[in-house]
Amino acid sequence: MNDLIEGFRLVGQMDVLIAILASSIYGLVVGSLPGLSATMATALLVPVTFYLSPIAAVATIISASAMAIFSGDIPGCLLRIPGTPASAAYTDEAYAMTRKGQAELALGTGLWFSAVGGIVGTLSLVIMAPLLAEVALNFSSYEYFWLAVLGLMCATLVARSSPVKAIASMLLGLLVSCIGMENPAGAPRFTFGMADLLGGIEPLPALVGVFALSEVMRALATFDPPPLPRRKFGSIMAGQWKLTKQYQWPMWRGNVIGIIIGVLPGAGADMAAWVSYAMSKRFSKTPEKFGTGHPEGLVEAGASNNASLASGWVPALLFGIPGDTITAIAIGVLYMKGLNPGPTLFTERASSMYALYIIFILANIIMIPLGIIMIRLAAHVLRAPRASIMPIILMLCAVGAFATGNNMFSVLLVGFFGVVGYVMERNGYPVAALVLGIVMGSMVEQSFVTSLIKSDNSLLPFIDRPISSVLAAITAGALLWPVGAWLLRRRARNRPTLQRPA
Amino acid sequence: MQLSDRVTGAFLVALGGFSVYGASLQPGVPGQDVGPSVFPTIIGLGLVGCGALILLRVGHSFEAPEDVIPPAAGEAVPQPPRFAELRAFIPPLLLVFYTLVADWLGFLPTAATMVLVVALALGASWRLALPLAVLAPLGIATIFMKLLRVPLPDGLLPLPW
Amino acid sequence: MSPFSRRTLLGAGAGLAVAPLAAPALAQPRYPVRPLQLICPWGAGGGTDATARIVAALLEKELGQPVNVVNRTGGSGVVGHAALASANPDGYSIGIITVEIAMMHWQGLTELTHANYTPLGLVNRDAPGVQVSASSPYKDIKALAEGIKASPPGRLKASGTGQGGIWHLALVGWLQAMGLKPDHVRWVPSNGAAPGMQDLVAGGIDIVPCSIPEARAMLDAGRARSLAIMSPQRDPQFPDIPTLKESLGVDYQTAVWRGIGAPLKLPAEHAALLTGALEKVYKSDQYSEFMKARGFGMDWADGAGFGRVMAETDAAMGVAMKAAGLAKT
Repeated sequence: MNDLIEGFRLVGQMDVLIAILASSIYGLVVGSLPGLSATMATALLVPVTFYLSPIAAVATIISASAMAIFSGDIPGCLLRIPGTPASAAYTDEAYAMTRKGQAELALGTGLWFSAVGGIVGTLSLVIMAPLLAEVALNFSSYEYFWLAVLGLMCATLVARSSPVKAIASMLLGLLVSCIGMENPAGAPRFTFGMADLLGGIEPLPALVGVFALSEVMRALATFDPPPLPRRKFGSIMAGQWKLTKQYQWPMWRGNVIGIIIGVLPGAGADMAAWVSYAMSKRFSKTPEKFGTGHPEGLVEAGASNNASLASGWVPALLFGIPGDTITAIAIGVLYMKGLNPGPTLFTERASSMYALYIIFILANIIMIPLGIIMIRLAAHVLRAPRASIMPIILMLCAVGAFATGNNMFSVLLVGFFGVVGYVMERNGYPVAALVLGIVMGSMVEQSFVTSLIKSDNSLLPFIDRPISSVLAAITAGALLWPVGAWLLRRRARNRPTLQRPA
Repeated sequence: MQLSDRVTGAFLVALGGFSVYGASLQPGVPGQDVGPSVFPTIIGLGLVGCGALILLRVGHSFEAPEDVIPPAAGEAVPQPPRFAELRAFIPPLLLVFYTLVADWLGFLPTAATMVLVVALALGASWRLALPLAVLAPLGIATIFMKLLRVPLPDGLLPLPW
Repeated sequence: MSPFSRRTLLGAGAGLAVAPLAAPALAQPRYPVRPLQLICPWGAGGGTDATARIVAALLEKELGQPVNVVNRTGGSGVVGHAALASANPDGYSIGIITVEIAMMHWQGLTELTHANYTPLGLVNRDAPGVQVSASSPYKDIKALAEGIKASPPGRLKASGTGQGGIWHLALVGWLQAMGLKPDHVRWVPSNGAAPGMQDLVAGGIDIVPCSIPEARAMLDAGRARSLAIMSPQRDPQFPDIPTLKESLGVDYQTAVWRGIGAPLKLPAEHAALLTGALEKVYKSDQYSEFMKARGFGMDWADGAGFGRVMAETDAAMGVAMKAAGLAKT
């Protein structure tokens, strides 16, 4: 109890509060700029943390990353450019809502459920940290293989078009992920002698290309759509309570999945969003509405990516294993500030731990007022004529891609993937599946190859380890589910026809 | 660019074949029985399979029609502009232009050119396009160079502040 | 090419054309007169990035001019290293050079070698430790060495970086020094040391030869043990870990290092000034506090010394990589 009071005292200091506020605003702005991910926002903060007290330093990272993950939804919703990869899973859905004139509902959903997810994730961090970390620590490459396969199977679930084309798109993405030498063999593949391709294709320029640049291209190929009715931007939070009650179940499922994925090392907010969005569609009562501007998936995935953010700190704090790229940076800062990760952090420096929890909660609470202001400012985008928005988006594509590595090659990649995304979409190939393949590809190969090396080419450990057997069963179930459902539907359809002749 | 399933399917078959061929050129790696060629080979074969299915138009029935928002009653359906398909390739070409000249010309003039071209192509008046071409690059450069320290090329015309 | 260099060239050109007579009046101002850029070939957030940023922050104080860290990522480090080598040698472009420069050209990934740079100073060196899980039957390095020799080739597994990465080569070098085949212990590629350490604790692999700071969290948590360090002396930060030589009698040592360099043909007086400033940075309290906090190893060498370190590493890496079949002939 004393530790808790001490924790409040640590957070209540002026420099910490200012750090939280300033880094929140910073995170909101950076996250909403296309091409600048939450990871990048955090990395750019590291030099600033040199000059801060330990708690203030950690506070800047927590608040900036939480805000950036939420505000990545804003350009995704308004312009179809995901601000961060974590928003990519439901960008199309949110954009469809905007076109239906429900931008405020979509953004409010993102904001409200991000905050809920963040807070639930934090509570899980508080309650289950030691337990969850123990489970995650037993994950070996066998388990990661199944996780990655499950992730890839989301490709066909998120698509609304022909499953064959969805799988083809996903395979294209996997092929892209083969490029470079970041594969288990360390052998350069498909690089055509270009040094820029050695490191492989970064997901961010690809994302910006297929989502944002292709949108600019489409704008040039079509006439001005009828202008959106000039109406007052409605209340952002209105209707959120109704959604919360209506989609209570998806919300909790999103939270739980986000927490689980966040705890797993290496799997972060973007994967949480993908899996949750796919789950949401699978278990929805109205799956046919997905993709047409339906808030249900947004509720689940929006909660999920923010929940994963908090739980990603569990392995980071306990074992110094990053749950995602953001916590990888955070671990560096923790060491630098003498808050060395490890079980002792929870016992000997409990007050610092409480302070950390309090900062998480605080950041997710002030996210709501700050987020509303941000949305109000960003909403002006909707009223501006297309001829003034599209050129700016094009420049943001170029600059955002360049900023990922200060490399002109990324700008070319955006152009390339813009063309790929544009052509694919015109021909009914879902681009989301492509992106999924690019993001997950290396994990599938890495986990498969390393598993075989470790097991001396035996396939047995893929199914006889306790956790991997469960994951294998889930994968098999998910594979067989559509087949079974199809058979059932067929039987149901055939029965009446059989009865008719009589 | 609307192509028939025949064309895209054939392209996928060719791409799959290429990746299988490319994978077969990979040397083995000591200590790894599953070498760097296995994964691209599987993907390549998958692409060939999917491409063939698409060629034969399997699964076509699942495809949802393109999600066009139906025009409201009494609204004129606009015709697509002339050369619509070709115009779509202006943005990627502008990005190539950017990578070629930005280092030498600098971010501000390059960006201004690009903004101007896209704005005019979208039918903006000169009164809108010109101020936009001046102000938008300045704003973007300020945010990215000054606040985020992204080293955008100065070239002939560095940021005035 | 750096934006700064181009501006200087233009400025110089304009100056020459317009006022050749006024040139003596414009006495050469003291270098540096404008901000420097420090190229980092690795992404923001990593250990190299953190080192580059602390060096830049402290160098700024010494030089009186801002030093901006520019991450030039891509190509597994090739792009950034190439950007530094081809930058204008006017003293306004410097960069952090990492051990990969001694490895990439052997793999045929680039033509660049250490000979393409003007070395300015070594600022960090970390030797790998030999880590095993806390539940491992091998309690000390002798037992582990016996165990390795007794086991059939390929039975034991090690991990900690990608195929052909620095820790893989450390393992290869150590096995060779013990008179074993380079693939006697099988290498399991991983995305860095952290996943390797996790897999060690999860029981998937047997050995992780990564640097001790990378293993520190697991060591502190009592989940893993470090049996020996591959360096000439014990690390003052981890005095309980014996060296390979004293505990096993095998004289093998290797390390990762980071240093600051500049393109070739850097004027000698600029190089001397930068090396002097770097030495002050290295000796500052803030720098040692930072390095200690991150657990990074401290080591200093001036320009010539750093050049020797790079050349020695280059030769050693060539031997190890050829032995492991990783080098392109």
